[in-house]
Amino acid sequence: MENEKREKFIVPIGPQHPALKEPGHFEFTVDGETVTGATVRLGYVHRGIEKATEDRNWTQNLYLLERICGICSHSHAMAYSLGVEKLAGVAVPPRAQAIRQVTAELERIHSHLLWLGVAAHEAGFDTLFMFSWRDRETIMDILEELTGNRVNYSVNVLGGVKIDIDTERADSIRKGMDFLEERTTHYLKVVTSDETFLRRTRGVGFTTTEQAETLGLVGPTARAANVARDVRVDVPYITYADFPITITLDTRGDLEARFVVRIKELFECYRVIRLILDKLPAGELTTRMPRKIKEGETVSRIEAPRGELFYFIKSGGGEKPERVKVRTPSINNFALVTGTAVGHQLADMPMILAGMDPCFSCNDR
Amino acid sequence: MKLRFASMFGDMFRSLFKKPVTEMYPFKKTSAPPRLRGELMYNPEKCTGCQLCVKDCPSNAIELITVDKANKHFVMRYHLDRCTFCAQCVENCRFECLGMSNEQWELAALNKESFTVHYGREEDLQKLLGKPLP
Repeated sequence: MENEKREKFIVPIGPQHPALKEPGHFEFTVDGETVTGATVRLGYVHRGIEKATEDRNWTQNLYLLERICGICSHSHAMAYSLGVEKLAGVAVPPRAQAIRQVTAELERIHSHLLWLGVAAHEAGFDTLFMFSWRDRETIMDILEELTGNRVNYSVNVLGGVKIDIDTERADSIRKGMDFLEERTTHYLKVVTSDETFLRRTRGVGFTTTEQAETLGLVGPTARAANVARDVRVDVPYITYADFPITITLDTRGDLEARFVVRIKELFECYRVIRLILDKLPAGELTTRMPRKIKEGETVSRIEAPRGELFYFIKSGGGEKPERVKVRTPSINNFALVTGTAVGHQLADMPMILAGMDPCFSCNDR
Repeated sequence: MKLRFASMFGDMFRSLFKKPVTEMYPFKKTSAPPRLRGELMYNPEKCTGCQLCVKDCPSNAIELITVDKANKHFVMRYHLDRCTFCAQCVENCRFECLGMSNEQWELAALNKESFTVHYGREEDLQKLLGKPLP
Protein backbone atom coordinates (compact mmCIF):
# COMPACT_ATOMS: atom_id res chain seq x y z
CA MET A 1 0.00 0.00 0.00
CA GLU A 2 1.17 3.46 -0.80
CA ASN A 3 0.75 5.10 2.60
CA GLU A 4 1.74 2.14 4.66
CA LYS A 5 4.35 3.04 7.22
CA ARG A 6 6.58 0.27 8.35
CA GLU A 7 6.99 0.60 12.07
CA LYS A 8 9.95 -0.74 13.92
CA PHE A 9 9.21 -3.77 16.03
CA ILE A 10 11.66 -4.42 18.86
CA VAL A 11 12.01 -7.78 20.53
CA PRO A 12 13.54 -7.41 24.00
CA ILE A 13 15.45 -10.42 25.29
CA GLY A 14 16.61 -10.54 28.90
CA PRO A 15 17.90 -9.37 31.33
CA GLN A 16 16.68 -12.60 32.90
CA HIS A 17 17.74 -15.67 31.04
CA PRO A 18 18.74 -14.33 27.60
CA ALA A 19 19.26 -17.85 26.24
CA LEU A 20 22.13 -18.30 28.70
CA LYS A 21 21.99 -18.52 32.46
CA GLU A 22 23.47 -15.11 33.14
CA PRO A 23 21.78 -11.70 32.92
CA GLY A 24 22.16 -9.39 29.94
CA HIS A 25 19.67 -7.32 27.98
CA PHE A 26 19.42 -7.43 24.20
CA GLU A 27 17.06 -5.55 21.92
CA PHE A 28 16.60 -6.85 18.42
CA THR A 29 14.78 -4.75 15.85
CA VAL A 30 12.99 -7.12 13.51
CA ASP A 31 11.28 -7.00 10.17
CA GLY A 32 9.19 -10.14 10.23
CA GLU A 33 11.67 -12.80 11.31
CA THR A 34 14.71 -10.94 10.02
CA VAL A 35 16.82 -8.92 12.44
CA THR A 36 17.53 -5.37 11.27
CA GLY A 37 19.31 -4.00 14.33
CA ALA A 38 20.71 -5.09 17.67
CA THR A 39 21.75 -3.41 20.89
CA VAL A 40 23.19 -4.82 24.08
CA ARG A 41 23.00 -3.59 27.66
CA LEU A 42 25.27 -5.02 30.30
CA GLY A 43 26.08 -4.51 33.95
CA TYR A 44 23.41 -6.57 35.68
CA VAL A 45 25.92 -8.57 37.70
CA HIS A 46 28.13 -5.69 38.74
CA ARG A 47 29.49 -6.53 42.19
CA GLY A 48 31.99 -3.72 42.69
CA ILE A 49 34.93 -6.10 42.83
CA GLU A 50 37.46 -3.60 41.43
CA LYS A 51 36.60 -1.09 44.15
CA ALA A 52 36.60 -3.81 46.80
CA THR A 53 40.21 -4.69 45.98
CA GLU A 54 41.28 -1.32 47.41
CA ASP A 55 40.13 -2.43 50.88
CA ARG A 56 41.97 -5.73 50.97
CA ASN A 57 45.63 -6.63 51.14
CA TRP A 58 47.54 -8.13 48.19
CA THR A 59 46.95 -11.73 49.27
CA GLN A 60 43.26 -11.32 50.10
CA ASN A 61 42.66 -9.83 46.66
CA LEU A 62 43.94 -12.98 45.02
CA TYR A 63 40.89 -14.84 46.29
CA LEU A 64 38.47 -12.01 45.65
CA LEU A 65 39.61 -11.72 42.03
CA GLU A 66 39.55 -15.48 41.61
CA ARG A 67 35.83 -15.27 42.29
CA ILE A 68 35.13 -12.87 39.41
CA CYS A 69 34.38 -15.87 37.26
CA GLY A 70 33.42 -19.42 38.07
CA ILE A 71 34.78 -20.83 34.82
CA CYS A 72 38.07 -19.02 34.28
CA SER A 73 38.91 -18.46 37.96
CA HIS A 74 42.51 -19.63 37.57
CA SER A 75 43.06 -17.17 34.70
CA HIS A 76 42.00 -14.24 36.88
CA ALA A 77 44.13 -15.33 39.83
CA MET A 78 47.10 -15.99 37.55
CA ALA A 79 46.84 -12.67 35.70
CA TYR A 80 46.72 -10.86 39.04
CA SER A 81 49.60 -12.88 40.53
CA LEU A 82 51.78 -12.28 37.46
CA GLY A 83 51.11 -8.55 37.71
CA VAL A 84 51.87 -8.34 41.43
CA GLU A 85 55.01 -10.47 41.05
CA LYS A 86 56.17 -8.19 38.23
CA LEU A 87 55.61 -5.15 40.45
CA ALA A 88 57.47 -6.72 43.36
CA GLY A 89 60.31 -7.85 41.09
CA VAL A 90 59.99 -11.45 42.25
CA ALA A 91 60.96 -14.37 40.01
CA VAL A 92 58.64 -17.35 40.34
CA PRO A 93 60.35 -20.79 40.30
CA PRO A 94 60.04 -22.65 36.97
CA ARG A 95 58.22 -25.61 38.51
CA ALA A 96 55.53 -23.30 39.88
CA GLN A 97 55.20 -21.66 36.48
CA ALA A 98 54.80 -25.02 34.76
CA ILE A 99 52.13 -26.07 37.28
CA ARG A 100 50.32 -22.79 36.60
CA GLN A 101 50.39 -23.61 32.89
CA VAL A 102 49.05 -27.13 33.46
CA THR A 103 46.18 -25.75 35.53
CA ALA A 104 45.48 -23.04 32.95
CA GLU A 105 45.29 -25.60 30.17
CA LEU A 106 43.14 -27.96 32.25
CA GLU A 107 40.85 -25.02 32.87
CA ARG A 108 40.73 -24.27 29.15
CA ILE A 109 39.65 -27.85 28.46
CA HIS A 110 36.89 -27.60 31.05
CA SER A 111 35.77 -24.22 29.71
CA HIS A 112 35.70 -25.30 26.06
CA LEU A 113 33.83 -28.53 26.86
CA LEU A 114 31.34 -26.56 28.92
CA TRP A 115 30.90 -24.14 26.03
CA LEU A 116 30.48 -27.00 23.54
CA GLY A 117 27.60 -28.32 25.63
CA VAL A 118 25.96 -24.91 26.10
CA ALA A 119 26.23 -24.00 22.41
CA ALA A 120 24.86 -27.39 21.37
CA HIS A 121 21.99 -26.89 23.81
CA GLU A 122 21.17 -23.52 22.24
CA ALA A 123 21.02 -25.22 18.87
CA GLY A 124 18.62 -27.80 20.29
CA PHE A 125 21.22 -30.58 20.08
CA ASP A 126 20.78 -31.80 23.65
CA THR A 127 22.43 -35.15 23.02
CA LEU A 128 25.74 -33.43 22.36
CA PHE A 129 25.12 -31.23 25.41
CA MET A 130 24.58 -34.22 27.73
CA PHE A 131 27.50 -36.25 26.40
CA SER A 132 30.01 -33.40 26.34
CA TRP A 133 29.10 -32.51 29.91
CA ARG A 134 29.40 -36.11 30.98
CA ASP A 135 32.93 -36.12 29.57
CA ARG A 136 33.66 -32.75 31.15
CA GLU A 137 33.18 -34.50 34.48
CA THR A 138 36.53 -36.26 33.82
CA ILE A 139 38.32 -32.92 33.82
CA MET A 140 36.40 -31.70 36.86
CA ASP A 141 37.49 -34.82 38.76
CA ILE A 142 41.10 -34.27 37.68
CA LEU A 143 40.97 -30.66 38.87
CA GLU A 144 39.41 -31.69 42.17
CA GLU A 145 42.03 -34.35 42.74
CA LEU A 146 44.86 -32.03 41.77
CA THR A 147 43.81 -28.81 43.45
CA GLY A 148 41.18 -29.71 46.05
CA ASN A 149 38.19 -28.05 44.44
CA ARG A 150 36.11 -28.29 41.28
CA VAL A 151 35.92 -24.52 40.81
CA ASN A 152 38.00 -21.74 42.38
CA TYR A 153 41.01 -24.02 42.44
CA SER A 154 43.09 -21.67 44.57
CA VAL A 155 46.29 -22.95 43.00
CA ASN A 156 48.14 -19.62 43.03
CA VAL A 157 49.76 -17.86 45.89
CA LEU A 158 51.72 -14.70 45.36
CA GLY A 159 55.16 -15.96 44.45
CA GLY A 160 54.28 -19.48 43.38
CA VAL A 161 51.73 -22.25 43.67
CA LYS A 162 50.28 -24.27 46.52
CA ILE A 163 50.08 -27.65 44.88
CA ASP A 164 52.57 -30.05 43.43
CA ILE A 165 52.06 -32.62 40.70
CA ASP A 166 53.41 -36.02 41.77
CA THR A 167 53.72 -39.14 39.60
CA GLU A 168 50.41 -40.57 40.74
CA ARG A 169 48.50 -37.42 39.84
CA ALA A 170 50.40 -37.01 36.58
CA ASP A 171 49.30 -40.51 35.61
CA SER A 172 45.68 -39.79 36.37
CA ILE A 173 45.88 -36.59 34.28
CA ARG A 174 47.44 -38.55 31.38
CA LYS A 175 44.66 -41.15 31.62
CA GLY A 176 42.03 -38.41 31.53
CA MET A 177 43.71 -36.79 28.52
CA ASP A 178 43.69 -40.09 26.59
CA PHE A 179 39.97 -40.57 27.24
CA LEU A 180 39.12 -36.97 26.38
CA GLU A 181 41.20 -37.00 23.21
CA GLU A 182 39.21 -39.94 21.90
CA ARG A 183 35.92 -38.26 22.77
CA THR A 184 37.00 -34.90 21.31
CA THR A 185 37.86 -36.58 17.99
CA HIS A 186 34.30 -37.89 17.96
CA TYR A 187 32.81 -34.48 18.75
CA LEU A 188 34.85 -32.81 16.02
CA LYS A 189 33.37 -35.30 13.58
CA VAL A 190 29.86 -34.65 14.91
CA VAL A 191 29.98 -30.85 14.65
CA THR A 192 31.47 -30.92 11.15
CA SER A 193 29.26 -33.61 9.65
CA ASP A 194 25.85 -33.67 11.33
CA GLU A 195 23.56 -32.17 8.70
CA THR A 196 20.84 -30.98 11.10
CA PHE A 197 23.36 -29.28 13.32
CA LEU A 198 25.26 -27.71 10.42
CA ARG A 199 22.08 -25.94 9.34
CA ARG A 200 22.28 -24.00 12.60
CA THR A 201 25.98 -23.22 12.32
CA ARG A 202 27.23 -23.08 8.72
CA GLY A 203 27.30 -19.50 7.43
CA VAL A 204 25.65 -18.16 10.63
CA GLY A 205 27.22 -15.16 12.37
CA PHE A 206 29.78 -14.78 9.61
CA THR A 207 32.61 -12.27 10.00
CA THR A 208 35.44 -11.56 7.61
CA THR A 209 38.99 -11.18 8.93
CA GLU A 210 38.78 -7.40 8.42
CA GLN A 211 35.47 -7.20 10.30
CA ALA A 212 36.88 -9.27 13.15
CA GLU A 213 39.85 -6.93 13.41
CA THR A 214 37.65 -3.83 13.26
CA LEU A 215 35.34 -5.18 15.95
CA GLY A 216 38.38 -5.98 18.06
CA LEU A 217 37.45 -9.61 18.62
CA VAL A 218 39.74 -11.72 20.80
CA GLY A 219 40.32 -15.36 21.61
CA PRO A 220 38.86 -18.32 19.74
CA THR A 221 36.15 -16.05 18.26
CA ALA A 222 38.83 -14.01 16.48
CA ARG A 223 40.89 -17.06 15.56
CA ALA A 224 37.83 -18.57 13.86
CA ALA A 225 37.92 -15.56 11.53
CA ASN A 226 41.60 -16.13 10.72
CA VAL A 227 42.92 -13.41 13.03
CA ALA A 228 46.18 -14.78 14.44
CA ARG A 229 45.78 -13.35 17.92
CA ASP A 230 46.77 -15.39 20.96
CA VAL A 231 48.64 -13.96 23.95
CA ARG A 232 50.23 -17.38 24.60
CA VAL A 233 51.96 -17.13 21.22
CA ASP A 234 52.37 -13.37 20.80
CA VAL A 235 53.80 -12.57 24.25
CA PRO A 236 54.54 -15.91 25.94
CA TYR A 237 54.15 -15.67 29.70
CA ILE A 238 54.97 -18.24 32.43
CA THR A 239 56.38 -21.34 30.67
CA TYR A 240 54.59 -20.85 27.34
CA ALA A 241 57.97 -20.15 25.75
CA ASP A 242 59.34 -23.54 26.89
CA PHE A 243 56.17 -25.46 26.12
CA PRO A 244 54.77 -23.52 23.18
CA ILE A 245 51.35 -24.01 21.72
CA THR A 246 50.48 -23.84 18.05
CA ILE A 247 47.88 -21.27 17.18
CA THR A 248 44.61 -22.74 15.87
CA LEU A 249 43.09 -20.80 12.99
CA ASP A 250 40.14 -21.17 10.68
CA THR A 251 39.38 -19.12 7.61
CA ARG A 252 35.60 -19.45 7.49
CA GLY A 253 34.59 -17.01 10.25
CA ASP A 254 31.16 -18.51 10.90
CA LEU A 255 29.72 -20.43 13.84
CA GLU A 256 30.95 -23.74 12.49
CA ALA A 257 34.49 -22.34 12.44
CA ARG A 258 34.11 -21.28 16.10
CA PHE A 259 33.14 -24.84 16.98
CA VAL A 260 36.06 -26.25 15.00
CA VAL A 261 38.62 -23.81 16.45
CA ARG A 262 37.59 -24.46 20.06
CA ILE A 263 37.56 -28.22 19.59
CA LYS A 264 40.92 -28.18 17.81
CA GLU A 265 42.32 -26.07 20.65
CA LEU A 266 41.42 -28.93 22.97
CA PHE A 267 43.85 -31.22 21.12
CA GLU A 268 46.52 -28.56 21.57
CA CYS A 269 45.75 -28.51 25.33
CA TYR A 270 46.06 -32.31 25.60
CA ARG A 271 49.38 -32.25 23.74
CA VAL A 272 50.91 -29.45 25.79
CA ILE A 273 49.75 -30.91 29.14
CA ARG A 274 51.36 -34.26 28.28
CA LEU A 275 54.53 -32.45 27.24
CA ILE A 276 54.73 -30.50 30.51
CA LEU A 277 54.04 -33.59 32.61
CA ASP A 278 56.91 -35.38 30.86
CA LYS A 279 59.34 -32.52 31.35
CA LEU A 280 58.14 -30.90 34.57
CA PRO A 281 61.02 -28.73 35.83
CA ALA A 282 62.32 -29.62 39.29
CA GLY A 283 62.64 -27.13 42.09
CA GLU A 284 60.78 -25.06 44.62
CA LEU A 285 57.08 -24.24 44.49
CA THR A 286 57.13 -20.82 46.09
CA THR A 287 59.42 -17.93 46.65
CA ARG A 288 59.27 -15.23 49.32
CA MET A 289 56.97 -12.31 48.64
CA PRO A 290 57.15 -9.01 50.48
CA ARG A 291 53.97 -7.95 52.28
CA LYS A 292 54.34 -4.44 50.92
CA ILE A 293 54.69 -4.04 47.17
CA LYS A 294 56.87 -1.18 46.00
CA GLU A 295 55.27 1.79 44.33
CA GLY A 296 54.51 1.50 40.64
CA GLU A 297 52.05 0.32 38.06
CA THR A 298 51.97 -2.54 35.64
CA VAL A 299 49.83 -4.40 33.16
CA SER A 300 49.57 -8.14 32.85
CA ARG A 301 47.99 -9.97 29.94
CA ILE A 302 47.15 -13.62 29.64
CA GLU A 303 45.07 -15.78 27.34
CA ALA A 304 41.95 -16.86 29.24
CA PRO A 305 39.77 -19.53 27.61
CA ARG A 306 37.68 -16.77 25.98
CA GLY A 307 40.54 -14.53 24.87
CA GLU A 308 42.86 -11.87 26.16
CA LEU A 309 42.44 -11.05 29.84
CA PHE A 310 43.99 -7.75 30.84
CA TYR A 311 44.92 -6.54 34.34
CA PHE A 312 46.16 -3.11 35.29
CA ILE A 313 47.58 -2.95 38.81
CA LYS A 314 48.78 0.16 40.62
CA SER A 315 50.59 0.08 43.92
CA GLY A 316 51.17 3.01 46.24
CA GLY A 317 53.87 1.14 48.13
CA GLY A 318 51.60 -0.23 50.82
CA GLU A 319 49.93 -3.49 51.80
CA LYS A 320 46.94 -2.79 49.54
CA PRO A 321 46.68 -1.97 45.85
CA GLU A 322 45.64 1.54 44.85
CA ARG A 323 43.81 0.40 41.75
CA VAL A 324 43.09 -2.87 40.01
CA LYS A 325 41.45 -2.66 36.61
CA VAL A 326 40.25 -5.78 34.83
CA ARG A 327 39.29 -5.98 31.19
CA THR A 328 37.82 -9.29 30.20
CA PRO A 329 37.60 -10.84 26.73
CA SER A 330 33.79 -10.83 26.67
CA ILE A 331 33.52 -7.04 26.39
CA ASN A 332 35.38 -7.17 23.06
CA ASN A 333 33.41 -10.10 21.79
CA PHE A 334 29.98 -8.60 22.50
CA ALA A 335 30.60 -6.46 19.42
CA LEU A 336 30.20 -9.65 17.44
CA VAL A 337 26.54 -9.97 18.45
CA THR A 338 25.63 -6.41 17.54
CA GLY A 339 27.90 -6.42 14.51
CA THR A 340 26.75 -9.61 12.83
CA ALA A 341 23.12 -9.91 13.91
CA VAL A 342 21.70 -7.86 11.04
CA GLY A 343 20.26 -9.99 8.25
CA HIS A 344 19.96 -13.13 10.35
CA GLN A 345 16.79 -14.82 11.56
CA LEU A 346 15.68 -14.02 15.11
CA ALA A 347 15.99 -17.73 15.94
CA ASP A 348 19.73 -17.55 15.18
CA MET A 349 20.36 -14.94 17.87
CA PRO A 350 20.81 -17.36 20.80
CA MET A 351 23.31 -19.30 18.70
CA ILE A 352 25.28 -16.20 17.70
CA LEU A 353 25.36 -15.09 21.32
CA ALA A 354 26.37 -18.50 22.65
CA GLY A 355 28.90 -18.84 19.81
CA MET A 356 31.13 -16.12 21.24
CA ASP A 357 31.09 -17.79 24.67
CA PRO A 358 30.02 -14.72 26.65
CA CYS A 359 30.78 -14.45 30.33
CA PHE A 360 28.59 -11.79 31.88
CA SER A 361 30.03 -12.24 35.37
CA CYS A 362 33.57 -11.62 34.13
CA ASN A 363 32.42 -8.72 32.07
CA ASP A 364 30.44 -6.91 34.77
CA ARG A 365 32.65 -7.77 37.77
CA MET B 1 33.28 -34.65 4.69
CA LYS B 2 30.19 -36.73 4.03
CA LEU B 3 27.15 -35.32 5.77
CA ARG B 4 25.27 -37.55 8.16
CA PHE B 5 22.04 -37.50 10.09
CA ALA B 6 21.72 -38.48 13.75
CA SER B 7 25.49 -38.62 14.18
CA MET B 8 25.21 -39.30 17.90
CA PHE B 9 22.75 -42.15 17.59
CA GLY B 10 25.52 -44.65 18.38
CA ASP B 11 26.29 -42.92 21.68
CA MET B 12 22.65 -42.94 22.67
CA PHE B 13 22.13 -46.56 21.66
CA ARG B 14 25.16 -47.75 23.64
CA SER B 15 23.99 -45.78 26.66
CA LEU B 16 20.79 -47.83 26.74
CA PHE B 17 22.79 -50.78 27.99
CA LYS B 18 24.82 -48.89 30.56
CA LYS B 19 24.11 -47.82 34.11
CA PRO B 20 23.33 -44.12 34.63
CA VAL B 21 26.52 -42.07 35.18
CA THR B 22 24.83 -40.11 37.97
CA GLU B 23 26.26 -40.79 41.41
CA MET B 24 23.64 -41.93 43.91
CA TYR B 25 24.61 -39.36 46.54
CA PRO B 26 23.66 -39.25 49.46
CA PHE B 27 22.62 -42.93 49.45
CA LYS B 28 26.00 -44.07 48.23
CA LYS B 29 28.96 -41.96 49.29
CA THR B 30 32.31 -41.95 47.58
CA SER B 31 35.34 -40.77 49.48
CA ALA B 32 36.66 -37.31 48.72
CA PRO B 33 40.13 -36.87 47.19
CA PRO B 34 42.92 -36.36 49.78
CA ARG B 35 43.53 -32.74 48.79
CA LEU B 36 39.88 -31.66 49.09
CA ARG B 37 39.53 -28.45 51.09
CA GLY B 38 36.85 -28.98 53.73
CA GLU B 39 36.48 -27.67 57.27
CA LEU B 40 39.54 -25.97 58.79
CA MET B 41 41.26 -27.87 61.61
CA TYR B 42 43.44 -26.20 64.25
CA ASN B 43 46.04 -27.73 66.51
CA PRO B 44 46.65 -25.37 69.49
CA GLU B 45 49.79 -27.15 70.72
CA LYS B 46 52.26 -25.56 68.30
CA CYS B 47 50.54 -22.20 67.76
CA THR B 48 52.63 -19.13 68.59
CA GLY B 49 49.83 -16.63 68.01
CA CYS B 50 51.58 -14.86 65.12
CA GLN B 51 48.18 -13.95 63.60
CA LEU B 52 49.38 -14.50 60.03
CA CYS B 53 46.36 -16.71 59.35
CA VAL B 54 44.03 -13.95 60.55
CA LYS B 55 45.76 -11.22 58.54
CA ASP B 56 45.50 -12.88 55.15
CA CYS B 57 42.08 -14.49 55.48
CA PRO B 58 40.06 -13.02 52.59
CA SER B 59 36.74 -13.41 54.39
CA ASN B 60 37.64 -12.68 58.03
CA ALA B 61 36.67 -16.19 59.00
CA ILE B 62 39.31 -16.62 61.71
CA GLU B 63 39.63 -14.97 65.14
CA LEU B 64 42.54 -15.87 67.37
CA ILE B 65 41.74 -15.17 71.01
CA THR B 66 44.62 -14.92 73.46
CA VAL B 67 43.90 -16.76 76.71
CA ASP B 68 47.39 -16.73 78.21
CA LYS B 69 50.01 -14.87 76.22
CA ALA B 70 53.02 -15.90 78.30
CA ASN B 71 52.32 -19.63 77.99
CA LYS B 72 51.08 -19.31 74.42
CA HIS B 73 47.52 -20.42 74.99
CA PHE B 74 45.14 -19.46 72.23
CA VAL B 75 41.60 -20.27 71.20
CA MET B 76 40.57 -20.08 67.57
CA ARG B 77 37.05 -18.97 66.74
CA TYR B 78 36.38 -20.20 63.24
CA HIS B 79 33.39 -18.88 61.29
CA LEU B 80 32.50 -21.73 59.01
CA ASP B 81 29.82 -19.75 57.21
CA ARG B 82 32.29 -17.04 56.15
CA CYS B 83 35.10 -19.37 55.11
CA THR B 84 35.80 -19.57 51.37
CA PHE B 85 37.99 -22.68 51.74
CA CYS B 86 40.95 -21.10 49.95
CA ALA B 87 43.56 -22.58 52.34
CA GLN B 88 45.64 -19.39 52.46
CA CYS B 89 45.75 -19.72 56.27
CA VAL B 90 47.17 -23.23 55.92
CA GLU B 91 49.77 -21.87 53.49
CA ASN B 92 50.66 -19.01 55.86
CA CYS B 93 51.08 -21.11 59.01
CA ARG B 94 54.76 -21.78 59.61
CA PHE B 95 54.14 -24.18 62.49
CA GLU B 96 51.74 -26.53 60.73
CA CYS B 97 48.90 -25.87 63.17
CA LEU B 98 46.31 -25.61 60.44
CA GLY B 99 44.92 -28.07 57.95
CA MET B 100 41.81 -28.60 55.90
CA SER B 101 39.87 -31.79 56.37
CA ASN B 102 38.92 -33.92 53.41
CA GLU B 103 36.37 -35.77 55.51
CA GLN B 104 34.39 -32.89 56.98
CA TRP B 105 32.81 -31.32 53.92
CA GLU B 106 29.10 -31.87 54.37
CA LEU B 107 28.74 -28.67 56.34
CA ALA B 108 25.10 -27.67 55.95
CA ALA B 109 23.18 -27.02 59.18
CA LEU B 110 19.75 -25.79 60.25
CA ASN B 111 20.93 -23.40 62.97
CA LYS B 112 23.40 -20.53 62.89
CA GLU B 113 25.26 -21.55 66.07
CA SER B 114 26.86 -24.60 64.51
CA PHE B 115 28.70 -22.36 62.06
CA THR B 116 30.86 -20.87 64.81
CA VAL B 117 33.46 -23.42 65.80
CA HIS B 118 35.91 -23.05 68.69
CA TYR B 119 39.24 -24.83 68.71
CA GLY B 120 41.77 -24.87 71.54
CA ARG B 121 42.98 -26.67 74.64
CA GLU B 122 40.08 -27.96 76.71
CA GLU B 123 40.88 -25.84 79.78
CA ASP B 124 41.18 -22.71 77.64
CA LEU B 125 37.84 -23.40 75.99
CA GLN B 126 36.20 -23.86 79.37
CA LYS B 127 37.71 -20.65 80.64
CA LEU B 128 36.63 -18.71 77.57
CA LEU B 129 33.18 -20.09 77.04
CA GLY B 130 32.40 -20.37 80.76
CA LYS B 131 30.76 -23.72 80.61
CA PRO B 132 31.93 -27.31 80.33
CA LEU B 133 32.00 -28.62 76.80
CA PRO B 134 29.51 -31.26 75.82
